Amino acid sequence: MLLALTDKRTGLANGFLLLALVAASLSSMSLGTISVAPLDVLGSLLGKADPMTDFVVKELRGSRILAGLLSGAALAVAGCLMQTLARNRLATPGIIGIDNAATAFAVASVVGIGLSLAPSAMALAGAAAATSLAFGLAGANGTRGYRFIVAGIGIGAIAGAATQVMLSRVAIDAANAAYPWTVGSLNARSGHSVVILSIGLVLAAILLAIINRGLNTLQFSDAVAIALGTRLRAIRILGLGLSVLLTGLAVSVCGPVGLVALLAPELARTLCRPGKVPLLASGLAGATFMVLADLLGRTLFSPLEIPVGIITAIVGSPYLLWILLKPSNRSLT
Amino acid sequence: MVPNRAVASRASFPSRLLTTWLVAGFLLSLVVMASLLYGAGPVSPGDAFAALLGNGPDNAHFVVSELRGPRTMIGLVTGLALGLAGALLQSMTRNPLAEPGLLGVSAGSGFAVALAILFGASNATLTTFVAQLGALAGCALVIAATRVQGLGNDPVRLILAGATLSGLLLALTSMLMLMDQRAADEIRFWITGSIAGKPLTLLSSTLPAIAVGLLIIAMVARPLAAMALGEKAAVGLGHHPGRIRFLITLSVALLVGSATALAGPLIFVGLVVPFIARAFAGPDIRKTLWLCLPIGPAVVLGADVLSRLIAAPSELPLGVVTALIGAPVLLAIVRAGRMPSL
Amino acid sequence: MSSVPTKTRSAAKKSFLALAAIAFSLNVAKAESRTVETAFGPVTIEGQPERVVTLYEGALDTTLAVGSSAVGAVITRGGSDVADYIQPQAADVAIVGAPAETNIEAVIAARPDLILAAPRTSKQQYQLLSRVAPVVVSDVPMFQPDSWKQETQLFARALGQEEAGEAVIEQVESRIAEVRQLVEATIPEDRRDATLVRWMPQGPLIMAEGLFSASILQATGFEVTDNNLVKEGRPHSEPLSLENLTRMDQSWVVLATLNEDGKKALESARKSPAFERLNAVRNEQVISVSGQLWTSASGPLAALAILDDIETAVQNIQP
Repeated sequence: MLLALTDKRTGLANGFLLLALVAASLSSMSLGTISVAPLDVLGSLLGKADPMTDFVVKELRGSRILAGLLSGAALAVAGCLMQTLARNRLATPGIIGIDNAATAFAVASVVGIGLSLAPSAMALAGAAAATSLAFGLAGANGTRGYRFIVAGIGIGAIAGAATQVMLSRVAIDAANAAYPWTVGSLNARSGHSVVILSIGLVLAAILLAIINRGLNTLQFSDAVAIALGTRLRAIRILGLGLSVLLTGLAVSVCGPVGLVALLAPELARTLCRPGKVPLLASGLAGATFMVLADLLGRTLFSPLEIPVGIITAIVGSPYLLWILLKPSNRSLT
Repeated sequence: MVPNRAVASRASFPSRLLTTWLVAGFLLSLVVMASLLYGAGPVSPGDAFAALLGNGPDNAHFVVSELRGPRTMIGLVTGLALGLAGALLQSMTRNPLAEPGLLGVSAGSGFAVALAILFGASNATLTTFVAQLGALAGCALVIAATRVQGLGNDPVRLILAGATLSGLLLALTSMLMLMDQRAADEIRFWITGSIAGKPLTLLSSTLPAIAVGLLIIAMVARPLAAMALGEKAAVGLGHHPGRIRFLITLSVALLVGSATALAGPLIFVGLVVPFIARAFAGPDIRKTLWLCLPIGPAVVLGADVLSRLIAAPSELPLGVVTALIGAPVLLAIVRAGRMPSL
Repeated sequence: MSSVPTKTRSAAKKSFLALAAIAFSLNVAKAESRTVETAFGPVTIEGQPERVVTLYEGALDTTLAVGSSAVGAVITRGGSDVADYIQPQAADVAIVGAPAETNIEAVIAARPDLILAAPRTSKQQYQLLSRVAPVVVSDVPMFQPDSWKQETQLFARALGQEEAGEAVIEQVESRIAEVRQLVEATIPEDRRDATLVRWMPQGPLIMAEGLFSASILQATGFEVTDNNLVKEGRPHSEPLSLENLTRMDQSWVVLATLNEDGKKALESARKSPAFERLNAVRNEQVISVSGQLWTSASGPLAALAILDDIETAVQNIQP
């Protein structure tokens, strides 16, 4: 990651995104059903506030922001990785059905159908299953071309229907408990899932720093990449594995908020120097995006809450449509 | 129950297709029987059969004639409309994945109905009209999208755009439901596809639109087949591609809007039915359309029978079952060596 | 489009409030530190709670029934406010979320000194709420005939209103006896079987025998059954295929909806031929009621309102 900072434009972009993330987090700590003055937020962070302000700022909002920030970053990095490996900016985990499959598995664990594994583990299993299925169906073409994406749409549809079947078969209380997973919400996260996600993120950051150079060469053709000394196969498998890991763990925290994985790398690529894979910038952008979307969801119709997944869908879909419908789009497929 | 049998035996009908058509028609009549005989309730197939013949217990008679009968009729019409609409849309866009559900036409229809319910609509005729209007808007969007340079020849981008549009409309619908809890139950009822418990009056309010849709198909089937040879060829034969596209868009909107008014948004039906039909009929759109007539209803009714049996004594939403059946077909199309172009 | 703002209603029933205020001032002296058994262990409550937040419809009901007042409550299921039957007494109550999703910040904003929470509150939620004020989560087993009594006693004790709690239970019981007499005098013994159904746009939802309103109905002499259609592990209700509607053909059908008033519910149900066929419908023995009250609410005030519904229905059939 340090390598990325040596470049001036990328460094500036990362600095800007970090600033935006801090600003978004601070506003999110200050705004809500109860508004806390910005100075009191700072006071609380410095340990000089009354206990109730402290409770609201740190424990209620702080933990929620942390969960949003981590899951947003994880989804965005996973998206950026998969786009790079597939050389297709539409190939994000959400679009190829990984989110939905992870959700289906997590819901299965919440409503207790047969398996009693933790949602994190189940979401991971779901993500892995969907990915291998998409690859299996896409055949020799691998991640390239249309098949991968269409297979993903089919897998996503099956997983979505399976989730519906499960929800309609269980007691209403269990269905309510599983509801956040079906729309994407930060309201029902469990502390364990967040801890596991942060461990996953640290692990991914270390591994990505190691393979960063190899990833950058993937922007050229295979022949060039090999000539530059990249061990293509190893990098592909590792990168895809990390993408699945991050997606699965993030879904176990916030549910299927898939569009973050598409929008954040888009923004990062616009800001950073071309020719490099903007992993760090994607992560920062994803975290900012998630925190802002959750802030909107909490405050728009307070005291009722709009799940963060609905906000990102409403904000993100028009942008995705614009990418798709823009004439003469060379960077697609 | 089997529509258009008289028309099917016309002299110009190729005999090989006739055989296929008769087999499909036979299968459809089997599915119709199953739909009348099996249900989530306590009436056994034997009792139901006796009721069909005019005897049997009173309760069986009631269930068959008042519950399963109307439901079967609605399923028949829905399947017919969706199958034909799918075949038309795919032929016109030359994209085997162009399915009204996947492209967001059904979602547009569902969202329009949700809006109407929110603003207090409850009259069946009004919702039918609103559903058709929504479908028309969805269709217009799809057509506009295919006119975008490059997109028309890129099946994946088109259906991805459709999936995104569906996602957007679904999110907006969820938001409407969050904001008005009272309307939420009714909206939820509309946006989960089902043909259970719908009154037959709904059928009469949609039939005119479906009839117009079918009439248009009869008019444009020949020019559409010509267009498959290329627009220049069609123009050479004296057809007007622009006018044909407009008529087909109208027909698809009428058919999908009516189907959505009857059963709610059912995705994948418009994909599965023409896929099966093409496998037997080959590339000629006219033959495909003929085969869609029995296959469409058979697929919808088959899915409905499953939806009753899987979860008895309650039922699964039909939309969930069609997705479970249809998505693997999508995967099969992808798995097929190359993307078949139309 | 109706969003749900934090709302403060102008006082609707001032007389009720005045009464509550008197009861309140009389009880202040008696209240002292006490410990109540909850689902998350014993909780100690000091003095007389003055700012009570209820996160469960039964808790709001009990709080108002024993003469305390609430400063915060959750909306009823399928509505955008507290249930209609309790509206007049629940003036000035701020909405702090929905039953499935409490907004903790709104709870804090109400500055509670006691929180009465729903029976299935998660441990995580409980721990957060406990930081704001003492939280009482009922440990009474649900869906038993006298669950509501035990729950009333528990909440009354937490509120420092044990005597008022006993008094209101007694009031409900004497009312039950009254209505029971009427039922026994009016309806022959073999014609007292009944089913409780909620009519949704999708079709019927059969309600479990153990539901609060079903147990009150049972107590007045009716024989309430769900015909074993509500499966184990689904203690509340079960959606039914229309084909199965005939399996709940009891002498009496109590029909509720969340969305509309009882009359409209009956109208929409009557559009279904399967419903028209029921013997109860043919004999005009359908009691249409508010679903907010009958399928979602619980507590002494709800019991009294349900008893009024039953009494009116039974009086109407007297020749």
